[in-house]
Amino acid sequence: MTTVESPATRQYPPTYRPSTLQRILPFAIAAVVPFVLGATTGDVVFWWKALITVVVLAVVARLAWKWTPRGELTHREDMRLWRTPGDRSWAAATTFGLLVLPFILASDFTPPMDFPWATWFAVVNLVLIFAMGAAAFNLLVGYSGQISLAHVAFLALGSIVGGIVGVQWSGGNMWLALPAAAVAGAVVGAISGLPALRLKHLYLLLATFGFHFVMMLVWREYLQEYFGFVGIRFKGENSPRIASWLHWLPGIDPDQNGEFVITGQFRWYWVIMPITVLSILFMVNVVRTREGRAFAAVRDRDVSASLLGINVARSKLMAFAVSSAVVAMSGTLASFYIGSRGEDSFNVQTVLNYAIIIVVGGFSSIQGAIFGSAFFWFLPEWFKWAREELWFVRDIDFLSDYPSEIDLAIKGFLVVVILMFKPDGLAGMWRDCKGWLGRRLAGSSR
Amino acid sequence: MSEPILSFDDLTVQFGGVRACDSISGRVDRGSLFALIGPNGAGKTTLVNTISGVYKPLAGATVHFHPDGKPVEDLLTYRPYQIARLGVARTFQNLGLFMGENVLTNLLLGRYIHENTRLISGGLFTRGAVKRELAAREAIERVVELLDLGEFKRDPVGDLPYGVQKRIEFGRVLAMEPELLMLDEPMAGMSVDEKQDMIRFIYAAQDELNTTVFLIEHDMGVVMSIADHVMVLDFGQKIAEGTPAEMQRDERVIAAYLGTEMAEN
Repeated sequence: MTTVESPATRQYPPTYRPSTLQRILPFAIAAVVPFVLGATTGDVVFWWKALITVVVLAVVARLAWKWTPRGELTHREDMRLWRTPGDRSWAAATTFGLLVLPFILASDFTPPMDFPWATWFAVVNLVLIFAMGAAAFNLLVGYSGQISLAHVAFLALGSIVGGIVGVQWSGGNMWLALPAAAVAGAVVGAISGLPALRLKHLYLLLATFGFHFVMMLVWREYLQEYFGFVGIRFKGENSPRIASWLHWLPGIDPDQNGEFVITGQFRWYWVIMPITVLSILFMVNVVRTREGRAFAAVRDRDVSASLLGINVARSKLMAFAVSSAVVAMSGTLASFYIGSRGEDSFNVQTVLNYAIIIVVGGFSSIQGAIFGSAFFWFLPEWFKWAREELWFVRDIDFLSDYPSEIDLAIKGFLVVVILMFKPDGLAGMWRDCKGWLGRRLAGSSR
Repeated sequence: MSEPILSFDDLTVQFGGVRACDSISGRVDRGSLFALIGPNGAGKTTLVNTISGVYKPLAGATVHFHPDGKPVEDLLTYRPYQIARLGVARTFQNLGLFMGENVLTNLLLGRYIHENTRLISGGLFTRGAVKRELAAREAIERVVELLDLGEFKRDPVGDLPYGVQKRIEFGRVLAMEPELLMLDEPMAGMSVDEKQDMIRFIYAAQDELNTTVFLIEHDMGVVMSIADHVMVLDFGQKIAEGTPAEMQRDERVIAAYLGTEMAEN
């Protein structure tokens, strides 16, 4: 007698527990393969590499999907950052993507229609730096509910600390300047948060905007005292270097003079990406543990929060401190990456740029900051390309005559559209897509 | 007589020209179920707000909290969050829940005073932070089981029905494991079944966690059946105090609730 095997028995049992090796393997593959691909240079055709990349990406996501605990999760499993099969697949794919991206961007690939390949690496690095600052800003504004416009002041503070500690004291030691910026940012951030103990909403916004101008004054005074009007040079002799003891690592070959100067997009990527990823992970962890929950509680109902034993004043100041510390760090990083910071590097327009990033990306979502930052930097590149290459746009003189104004107008228009039709921004759209995809997959395979 | 857990004396709260509470004195016995009743605007919530530190009374008032095995604390010298840490928890009449967050987060906020994960160790997600987080979740699990909230754990609170929300708020104060639990109309707007469930939960909390309950309630039937001691307020003044049976016979209480012409006599 033969029985037809019902599809249900081939599915995962309700409580499926993969081993530790199984859980880690997709991430391990994702981490190793890009470097193998990157090492296979020479006359290997780009498309061949691209094919392997896509195949590995599919395998990684599939394994991560397969090897995820199913059924009722224990608390330890529930506390993992990537809980569901979908989360784990995206996380493994993102790991893979982040590691393979610099190799793709560094290759001398020429896409059709003169798509601006070379400039994109710089944009990716900027996106990462801005994502870090914007995520910290979102932690304060979206998650802790403290409306602040002072974040550019902390970028400036990061530049000042980078100037003092990184340039004046140590002649290009970014590794000293970054923690110094974090400490300075935390202290000054807590001080700048003092108005938040008495003010809310629009009034707090004005108070923090005042702080912005105070910091601009400090920045100008500092510049003129030590650097004149040209601004601080963070490049050349002040370029950051990698500590000499790191040279034993594979793939880190010193320059001719025995030093390893961080220069060029490819090297910068490997500095910026880990810092951004680690600081974003730090903030995600803050949000999902005790003090982060307290931030959200204070945002939603401060009286209720205080009756749960939360010191509301301390919680608010802590939100300011942690957000400002990360923003100041991103300011230092940006200073060293961009190479020079001058009188008008931190104008009011920059304040608005961050607001655009937050609104487009989505409020109270750290993910949103990454999307918003990518949107903010890639959009102008696309417009530029469209203006130069697309046949039906190329001939409109008006667009070529006022490029930056048109960019800003389009961004402003999209901000209005997003606020009207999708208030939770790109992060909300992403969630919707994932939900739709998850339902589709659940419907077909479970 | 048993020892008191809370005693307040000459408590007067004034908003402009309105005396919300006028020189109210009373005491709550440890382990008892103390009920505070009165018509709308009698000053019941104001009294609870003053005890939990949200409002400051006029000079001359005293509010003493007697923690188990520790010296007496004068609550008027503390801020609300310090009072909560001493072991006095309360719920809100119109829900003090965080509507956008899920049930688990709301309940875990109740463990805030018992966890001590700092911002940095939380951000680094250290071994210790994970351990304490797990411990908090284990503690929550007891409450979830007691209040039968398991099926809602991942849902945002704002999407759940009102009766469940009331239960979640009750669960959150239970998670705080307070010595004195002040419930501000926990049964308002509930159906008869839900009220009976809530009474069951209150009894369970008293038995399992050994808390004293200070209850504000409108429903006379409920109060009369469960309270050990009743205090009646009307227009900010204490008009009667005693056992439920005594209160049912008290003329001033009946007048306050039914509105006879007694005031004119």
